[in-house]
Parts: sequence; C-alpha cells; structure tokens
Amino acid sequence: MGLVEFIEGPAFWFALAVFVAGALWRFVGIIRIGHKPDLAPPKGSAGWGWIRGNLRHFFPRGLFAERTWMHVLGGYAFHLGLFAVMFFAAPHVDFIRERLIGVGWPALPRWGFIIAAEIAFAGLIVLWVRRFSDPVMRLISDWDDHVGSWLTFLVMLTGCLALERAHVSLRALHMGLVELWLIYFPFSRLMHAFTFMLSRGATGASYGRKGMTL
Amino acid sequence: MLRQWMAGLTFALSVMLSAAFSVAPMVAPAQEANAPGSEAEAPATAPATDKPRPGTLEDILRRQQGLKLDPERLLRRPAPPAPIPLPPQLGTLGRQSDADLWRALKSGAYARPSSDTASGKLMQTAGEEWRRLRREVILKYAPWLPAGVLGLLVLFYLIRGRIRIRGGRSGRTIPRFSMSHRIAHWFLASVFILMAISGLMILIGRPVLLPLLGHEVHSVLLSAALQGHNLFGPVFILALLIAIVRFMRGNFFQWADVKWILRGGGMLGVHAPAHHYNFGEKTWYWIVVFVGLGMAATGLLLEFPWLVETLLYHQLATILHALGAVVMIAVALGHIYIGSIGMEGALDSMLKGEVDENWAREHHDLWYEQVTGKKAVHGGGGDDTPPPAAAAEQT
Amino acid sequence: MSETADTVIRTMLDQTDGDIAAYLEACVHCGECAEACHFYLATQDPKYTPTYKLMPLVKAYKRHKAPLRSVKGMLGLLPAEVSEEELREWESLVYDSCTMCGRCTLVCPMGLDIAGTIRKMREGYSAAGIVPDGLRTARENVVKTGSPMGVTAKALKAQIARQEKETGLEIPLDKQGAEYLALFSSMEVMGYPEVIGAYARIFARAGIDWTISTEAYEATNIGVQIGDGPLARKLVARIVDAARKLGVRHVISPECGHAYGAIRWAGPNMLGETFPFEVIHIIELLDRLRAEGRLEIGEKDARRITLHDPCQIVRRGGLLKEPRRLLDDACADFVEMKGSGVTNLCCGGGGGVSANPRAEELKTQAFSCKKAQLDAIDGLKAVVVPCANCRGVFEDGLDALGGDYEVIGLSELVADTLKD
Repeated sequence: MGLVEFIEGPAFWFALAVFVAGALWRFVGIIRIGHKPDLAPPKGSAGWGWIRGNLRHFFPRGLFAERTWMHVLGGYAFHLGLFAVMFFAAPHVDFIRERLIGVGWPALPRWGFIIAAEIAFAGLIVLWVRRFSDPVMRLISDWDDHVGSWLTFLVMLTGCLALERAHVSLRALHMGLVELWLIYFPFSRLMHAFTFMLSRGATGASYGRKGMTL
Repeated sequence: MLRQWMAGLTFALSVMLSAAFSVAPMVAPAQEANAPGSEAEAPATAPATDKPRPGTLEDILRRQQGLKLDPERLLRRPAPPAPIPLPPQLGTLGRQSDADLWRALKSGAYARPSSDTASGKLMQTAGEEWRRLRREVILKYAPWLPAGVLGLLVLFYLIRGRIRIRGGRSGRTIPRFSMSHRIAHWFLASVFILMAISGLMILIGRPVLLPLLGHEVHSVLLSAALQGHNLFGPVFILALLIAIVRFMRGNFFQWADVKWILRGGGMLGVHAPAHHYNFGEKTWYWIVVFVGLGMAATGLLLEFPWLVETLLYHQLATILHALGAVVMIAVALGHIYIGSIGMEGALDSMLKGEVDENWAREHHDLWYEQVTGKKAVHGGGGDDTPPPAAAAEQT
Repeated sequence: MSETADTVIRTMLDQTDGDIAAYLEACVHCGECAEACHFYLATQDPKYTPTYKLMPLVKAYKRHKAPLRSVKGMLGLLPAEVSEEELREWESLVYDSCTMCGRCTLVCPMGLDIAGTIRKMREGYSAAGIVPDGLRTARENVVKTGSPMGVTAKALKAQIARQEKETGLEIPLDKQGAEYLALFSSMEVMGYPEVIGAYARIFARAGIDWTISTEAYEATNIGVQIGDGPLARKLVARIVDAARKLGVRHVISPECGHAYGAIRWAGPNMLGETFPFEVIHIIELLDRLRAEGRLEIGEKDARRITLHDPCQIVRRGGLLKEPRRLLDDACADFVEMKGSGVTNLCCGGGGGVSANPRAEELKTQAFSCKKAQLDAIDGLKAVVVPCANCRGVFEDGLDALGGDYEVIGLSELVADTLKD
C-alpha cells in the first residue's frame, strides 16, 4: 500500500473514528455534568427559550455590530463560506456519496464553489488578522486558537490547490490535512461547532424561564 | 539587447494600435496595422524572399534538440514583402513552390482579399512574437528586479544596520493605526504574499524550479500554484479595494514631500519632514493603487478570458501582469524591510497600532506636532543640526 | 497547591454544572464581549474583557472536570494547575470589574452567561476568604446586625414613624394575615426613606392590604454579591420564615436589582423548595395595579425624563415593558436613551462593586459611559432609576463627573403623580 492509498484509506477511517467518538464523548460528557432542577416558579417556557436562545444568537445586535462590523462581517463570511464549501463542493458531495453514506445532493457549480471559497478565505483571514493585531484578542488568544485557525486554513488552502483534480498527490495532501483536522477537532476549540448549541441553549432556557423574549 | 527591447516595444505598440482599431470594427482590417508599424521601426535587413525568418529546417532541428536559437536572427525583422498575388487556383500538384509561398505568408505577406471583410494579411504571427517576448525578455530579465532589490537591502543592512530610535524609546505611545487600518493592511499583506509566491512560481517555475525538482514535482506544484493564484486573485482585489479606501486619507502629496525629496528622505544627513505619511510611504501607496489596480484588471482578464475576445489584449495582459508583479514585489520587499528589521519601532504601528513618541518625532515630525501639540525638536538644536541617524524612507 | 487555592478551585468546580461547563467549553475567544463591557469601554484596557475574567476557572475546569481531560493529559495538553498568586491576581477582576450585568451575554455569538459564571467564581473566592475589604465589612455587618449597612429594626421603625408623619398614613408593621409583605433595600431605608412613604400612598389609593416585617425587612442579599452561598441562603430563609409567619400571599421585591434575582429566581433553589407565596417585583405590582385601573394618575410630570434600565430587573429580570407603561402614564415628556432596554449599559456599580471602596475609581470611570448616554439627550431634566443601588451610583457619579439631573425612584414618581 502506497502512501496515497494509506492516506485515502485506513488513515481516513481512523481519523473519522477519532472525530466521531471524541466529539460524541465530549458533547455527551458536558451534558452529563447536569444541573439541579429549577424550583423557582417559571414565567415562561425553558424549552422554547432554549430554541429561541439558539436562534437569537445567530444574529448580532445592531448596537454592538456598529462597533465591530468588520469582525462580524468576517465571522459570517468565513462560517457561511466554509459551510458551503464543506458540504456543497462537487468533489465533497461525490466523496460523501461514494465513500460515506451512499446518498448525495446537488453540488455547487464550479463558479459557486469559487465564490464560496473566496468568501470563506476572506473571512478567515480577517478573523486571523484581528486575532494578532487587536490587544484584546492578543490577550485572550491561546495556542489552541492559532492552531485551529491555521489548520482550518491549510485544509481549505490545500483543497483549493487540488482544484484542478489532475494530481493525486495534491488530493492526498488535502486528505492528510483533513485527517489531522478531524483528529484535532474533538480535543480543541473547534468543538464550538457543536457546543454552541449547549451554551446558547443554557442561556436561552434560563431567559425563557424568566419570561424574557430577547 | 537593445533590439530585444525594441521588439518588445514594437509588440506593445502594435497591440495597442490594433486594440484601438478593433474597437471600431468597421475600420479596415485590424491586423493590417501590424505591418506599417513593423515597417517603421524594425530594421530592414534582408528582403523576405532572400532569407525567410523562422521555421527553417535548421531552426526546427535546433529547437528539437533543445539548443538555443539565435535570438538576434529570430528577431530580425525583414520588411514585409510586397503583396504577392495568390495563384488563382492551386492545382493538385501545385503550380509553384508551395514552401516558398507559405514562408512568405508567415512572414506577413499580403494577399488581395477576396472579399471586403477579409483581412489582407493571411497569417497571424503576433502569438509567436508574444511568446518570444515573454520567454526571452520578461522571463530572462524581470525576476532580477526583486532579486536585485533584495541584494541591495542586504547590502544596506550590512552597511547601515538597523535604524534605531535616537535617544531610545520614551515609553509613551501615540495611536497611529486604528483596528480597521490594521485589518485592512494585514488582510492585503497576507493575500499579497500568497499571490506573490504562487505568481512567482508560475512565472519562473520553468527556468528555476523545474531543473531543481524535476517534471513530476514541478507539475504538481505549478498546478497547485495556478489554482491558488486564481482563487486568491479576487480576494486580493477585495483586500486591495479595502486598503485603498482605508488608507487614502493622508496619502495625497503635500508641500512637505518636496522638502523630503530635496533632503533625500533623511539619507543625506538632514532631517526630512513628514506628515502622517512621508513621501516614500505615499509613493508606495500610489504604487499599490495604480499598479495594484492594473494587476487586478489584467489578472481578471487572465482569469476570465472570455471577458474580451481580442487575443492581443490577453497577450498584453500577461506581459503587463508580469511586469507589474515584479515591480510590486520589489517595492514590497523594501516596504517589508523598513517596516520590520530595518527600523526600530516601525512594526509597532501595524502590530499594536501605537508608536513610541520618540519614533514619531523622529520620522513623522509634522504629524507628531499635530497629534501631541508639542514641538518636534531634532537633534537637540532644531532643524539645522543634522541628526546622525536620520530617517530613511519609511515605506 | 496551597490550601487556599485548593478551596477556591474545589468550590468553583462544585458550582460548575452542565450549563456553566457548556459556557466554558463554547467560548471561541472572539473578543466581542469586550465591546459590551462598560469597564472595557471606559478604560480600553484589554484585561477587562469579560471572558478573560473567567480564565482561572477555565483552566481549573479543563484540568479537573472537562470531558476528554484524561486523553489530553496523556498528551501533556492540560493547562497547569491554577496557583494562589494567579487567583489573587484575578480577585480584582472578579470582584471590582464585573457588575454581573450580563450585557456581554447579548453580544456573545455563543450566548455565554459570563455574569452567572462570575457568580460561581465568587463562590470559590468567598469560600477561601479572598474577598475585597469593603464586601468583607458588609458581610460582617450582616452577620452582626442582619443588614449590610447596619440597619437595625429600631432604625427602621424610626424611619417609618417619620414617613407616617409626612404622609399622614398608617404604615402597618408585622400585620398578621396581610396580603402583601413589602421588602426594602438597606439603601432605601437609610438613603431614600421616602420610598416607604410612596408605598404607603400608592397602596392606600389602590386599596392594598400590606405590611412590613420587623424581622425581615431587607431584601439586599450580600451573600449573592460576594458569592457566599450559605449566607445568601440564610438571608433568603429569613424572608421566607417571616412571610410564612405572617401568612402573606405575596412578597414584594423592592426597586433593587440583585435582591429581585436573589429571592425570585435563585431563592427557591437555595432553600430547595418552591415558596408558598408569590414573589413579585414592585414594578410588576404597580403595572398590575395600573392595568386594573387602580392607579389613577392626576397631573403628569412635565419634565423631560428618561429611564435607566437596571440590568438585573430588565436584562436579567425580564421587566422590560412594565416600567415604560408606568412612565407613559406618569410623564408628559418621556424619552428613551440610546440603546435602552435589554441592551442598556449598566450603571457601573452593581454586583457589589459599589460596596467595594477599592473599585471606586473604576466605578466612576465606568459611569462616564452612562453619563454620556444622559448627556446625549437634549434638555434632560431627570432620570428614573428603579434600583436603589443604581440610584446611589448615579448620585455618586453625577457628583463626581458633574451633571445636573435629578435622580428619582419609580415608585416615588408614581406616588407623586397620583390623583389627589
């Protein structure tokens, strides 16, 4: 088995297993810490609050967005672009259909992919630049933030470099980085892709109980 | 060598002329403009019929053997032959030497067009000219510009060393670049570096990387570089536009800039005055604006070739894109040098957004006075005392 | 690890339930919260970034409680143990520079309740006795006299007698079987006793059967502010006992921010029971009376008046529309300040900060943000501040920074505009 076959075969399955098991373990672990039942008579529904909290925090509040619009824009650009690229790039859809679950969905046309990737890159770079040039960000950032950003950037970059789909080695490079990313994911702050639900939900539920419609 | 530049100039001129003509398609055959241009500028050495230029058996064999062609000979431009009457009809065996006929056509011979819409010139040779210009002029000489600048910088560093803040840091800081300035700057800078690296790989990969890495690795790398370059191009344009808007204020030339030039940017031992930006910085800004926009325009044309149908535009775009790139990279090297290791305290402005008061007083005295309301005294005795370590161009 | 550090960490982690864990896990260090915090806005000092204030807890959590910590430990990726020096260094961030106003939660893309998490950190600090001197004194007062400002039953009675004289109304004390039990904050009893008179006037007009208990008259809960769980429980229990004894059906929480949260939302969980009475905020009660037509307004206040939204009542208490409905009735020229409502800026002195002399300067600096909001309103004459603590901060702040605005309580305004 050559290096390329290894990267695209067993290594990928291993990385995927680490990702799924690790992320599940951590997610469930947080929930399992649990909390005591709330005895104060509620004014509203905690369940609805949970959902509302999750939805509400998808959108910034105008008052604050005025001050940090560049950051807000960068954040949206990166996340939306990455989402589109990750799940709707034609090679990804093919990969998911052929290697993972057997069903696919319509993929982005090439120009759509390019636009999504451009937007994602622009956003990621803006976020990263802010991280090292803003005094607040420099104070609160740790190595995990930087490793996560760089790893994601490299995954995206190698993916785009392999866009010609003419060289197996470029694809393998991309795959190799994806595997690193998958393994790193459950142990890092990248987990926010799942834990955001829990934190938003917790706040939303407590607000919901108090009958607040934020 | 002069001839080669001449050839380049001729090519560029002919492209522009033909571009101008092609705007108005009703004007008589576009390519016709080619011939008079060449006629006027190219030295007429030999009659066409005497010695046909490219494509002799000898040339072809030499090319196949990978031997160098004699550029002098290749670039020699014979005067275009007079229109030759095409044989009314070529018989199955031909009526005259077909080889001579084709050779003549390739050399730009005219034929009497058979209809009003057809061009008199039957064979287009601009592609060959463009290829030669790119291979033998651009590729050969252009990369030496950034390399030369790099050498000069190393030399400068060895001789002059790091420009220190006179009297050291004061510990007090003045805000210089806001968060949005810094984001705009680093956004452009990071994309620029990606574009520069991938672009250089595309430009000089064949002469530089190929011998080192071999065909297999080189082709993979270049495929990656091309995809990366194409992908980041539009991001670069976005970053460029943001930076142009963000940094426009304060970057128009002022009277102090004339004084700055007269005093050699502080290199002559006399203090050179500067507002928020000095002459060097302003020049860099306008280089970024104009060359950058030029790169954007030519780059878009290269990435989306269907935007324009005229081949000559694309040829011109590759040439200008390459020239603009080496200029940008060369100046950027100077900018990076003076903004980081070249000058103490300069990097603070883009990293922290604040600069030391002493740094500001030394390098941007007029700005310093405006911001702090204090008088900037140089070298302890006013402007007349030449400071030992004057500000270099802080681009 | 020192014993002190051990106590802090153990207590903090005991307090870390699934919700807090989710907050600690989800933070992506985006720094948005800095822009929401009045301490950062006023000083531009990055250390006041809300999420940064949580660092010791985050580290301790990652090391001792987070899922997958054993795998990370094997790879040597766990943060170092939190040292006592570190904890002491963070003390001023935890106590002086957080009013637990929760504004950062609104801007946080992950919805972290940083204020609630700071509250848990304070539990740890308090358990180990690392508490600012001002709050320590207040706690000693509570233990000795039952009130952070040392308000004894005798002092209360004297204030009540004066109010009875001024209003000409009888204020029922320890009345068995009354429907409502009114609580006050110590600040109100000592600084703004006219609030008691205002209650008397409004309740007399609305025909409310109410009383004040000489055993539990204070709603201020210093335990909540310090993070002293047992003390907070004791103070809540005192009110619950008195309410049981008098057999009231409603307990009125005063115009005081933290007191409302302490008794309404946290109280039942502290005592582990659902109360046999309803806890109602005075603003809620007034709004209810207004809706029932029992508050007849005579001449409106003609001055240009604005409203300060106390964070614990509006943002974290959910009483957003109630004070506005009351003000629309009572004022002829009511204007909102910019960013009012749930996103309103904190006064800068909540969460025990105003009781902490060490934080005095910072508090005043933070109030400058608030003052800028007031100054932005043309011709403003008065500001309604329905929280006794905020009110004190407003008066101190306007005193220090200058600013000619009258600061009034909501109940007083309503009482003053009642039809004669």
